[in-house]
Amino acid sequence: MTAIRTENLSKTYGAGRNGTETAAVRALNLEVREGEIFGFLGPNGAGKTSTIHLLLNLIRPTSGTAYLFDRPVTETAVHRRLGYLPESVNLHDYYRGRALLDFYAALCGVPANSRSARVTELLKLLHLEDAAEKRVSKYSKGMAQRIGFAQAMLHDPDLLILDEPTASLDPVGRKEFRDILLELKRRGKTVFISSHILSEVKTVCDRVAILQNGELKRTGTLQELSANKKTKLVVKGLPAPVMEALAITAAEVTLVQGLATISCPDEELRQTVEQLLRQHGVEIVRTETGTQSLEEIFFATITPPPKL
Amino acid sequence: MRTIFLIAIDSIRALLHQRLLLGLMLASLALTIFFSIIMSKERTVITESFSDDTMTNNSVMGTNQMSAVDRRNFQDKMESASTTFQAMFYQVASFGGSIVALFIFSTAVASEIRKGTIRLTLSKPVSRTQFLLGKYLGGVVVMAAFALLTWFAILIFAQTQNLELSPVIKWAPWLMFCRQLMLGSLAMLLSLFMHPIIASVLAFVAGNGFYSLHNPLYYILPSYKDFNVFFQVLEGTLLNLKDVAFLSLYAADFVVIMLLLALWRFRTKELV
Repeated sequence: MTAIRTENLSKTYGAGRNGTETAAVRALNLEVREGEIFGFLGPNGAGKTSTIHLLLNLIRPTSGTAYLFDRPVTETAVHRRLGYLPESVNLHDYYRGRALLDFYAALCGVPANSRSARVTELLKLLHLEDAAEKRVSKYSKGMAQRIGFAQAMLHDPDLLILDEPTASLDPVGRKEFRDILLELKRRGKTVFISSHILSEVKTVCDRVAILQNGELKRTGTLQELSANKKTKLVVKGLPAPVMEALAITAAEVTLVQGLATISCPDEELRQTVEQLLRQHGVEIVRTETGTQSLEEIFFATITPPPKL
Repeated sequence: MRTIFLIAIDSIRALLHQRLLLGLMLASLALTIFFSIIMSKERTVITESFSDDTMTNNSVMGTNQMSAVDRRNFQDKMESASTTFQAMFYQVASFGGSIVALFIFSTAVASEIRKGTIRLTLSKPVSRTQFLLGKYLGGVVVMAAFALLTWFAILIFAQTQNLELSPVIKWAPWLMFCRQLMLGSLAMLLSLFMHPIIASVLAFVAGNGFYSLHNPLYYILPSYKDFNVFFQVLEGTLLNLKDVAFLSLYAADFVVIMLLLALWRFRTKELV
């Protein structure tokens, strides 16, 4: 079962004062598997938040369909399995922290007898115990972000949709947030994160998707997305005939402390070299596959904006 | 149903924290006190003027009592003052209540969309229908409290001033409440299409007598005219139960139609 699935999902906003229409999302086909942490990347205006709003049924698609756990997003019941943290957390500011969480917990259907314990647990987890009786309007941005995260987790949902979740957090808060995400993953939860902070996405995400101008450019694991397919074969000693054979190929050989490293720039050459080594009975100690960093992948994928 | 109640309670909570709304309610209270004082003074003036006249007549005629004619005049004047003040009191409470109702219902959904708080609420297992009905119910409870307060205020007013209540004034808070729910439902519907202030103005204007019985719009647009019992209070006319029941049904019918239209609009509305 997929946690999130979109089929040719498109959203075009109506003509503004200048008479032009804006396509925020274009024929998006996306699949997020259950139990994975999925990073949703893209520059500003790429259509990430619009996609999230479509998934939450806050806006209507121009065409296409979106599903959560294989049910159309228009079904309210599917929200029982969903937790959402928006980019800018706007809270009902007439509540105090604990009362606000209690209200959301009641809406989520958390039983009255376990509600108080659950709220206390989350206040503790997100270090908000001291602010529990403080009015939400007095919260700092970081505290609002934390309580926003708490409300998303109140009913222990199977899927968390987080829009720029760490934007207002300090480094300590970010580290704690990462730890919580990894714990959620360990417990089999699905997390969909839209973020600009590539280092963070790289640390926690199993797969990523890169969006630009509403179009899905690429999706996959970091390894799958990496353009760098260079492979290094590390072997113990190289017989002279192998050295001679390698010399006429594009493979590079370096010798360090009795170990030879053969760098193969592409997949085809790697297979040729492996065959050659097998023919001469040379044992491959290990294989190293080179990958690009997420930042390199991101910038290689998106088209830079025109210079001003 | 539970979700609708939760949204309604949240809505009441939000309204109780609205300074503008509290200000409007305080203004209504201040007007009540103002009217009580004026009424009290007016009664004193009438009593004093009759006392002076009686004393003058007594000294001329050598009697010690108010004549039957004078007594009837005195009672007529007191009754007239009483009904005028009851009618005025009702009018002020009704107008104040209408402003409160327009404020509550036109901003109930619109302010949640504007502030972005609706995104969190609707990410929970809350349907748009539950949300809208919960918001409306919250407003109904606040308006019911306002109508009850008005009713109590009228009773206290009558008690302290030793007045006999006009027969129609007993129904006035109920009719006022019905009128405010009609206004509110229309304002809520319009606020899903336009700015709450414009929605409020339109909802107020639409039904306040821009058309006569000969105008076909009368049958389509709401009419609040019959819910205003100012003249009946003034004239001391009786309002029978059948009329009240008919007006209540008209209001209920109107509110249901407006809510259905609002739900139809809200279900397809973009909420960001």
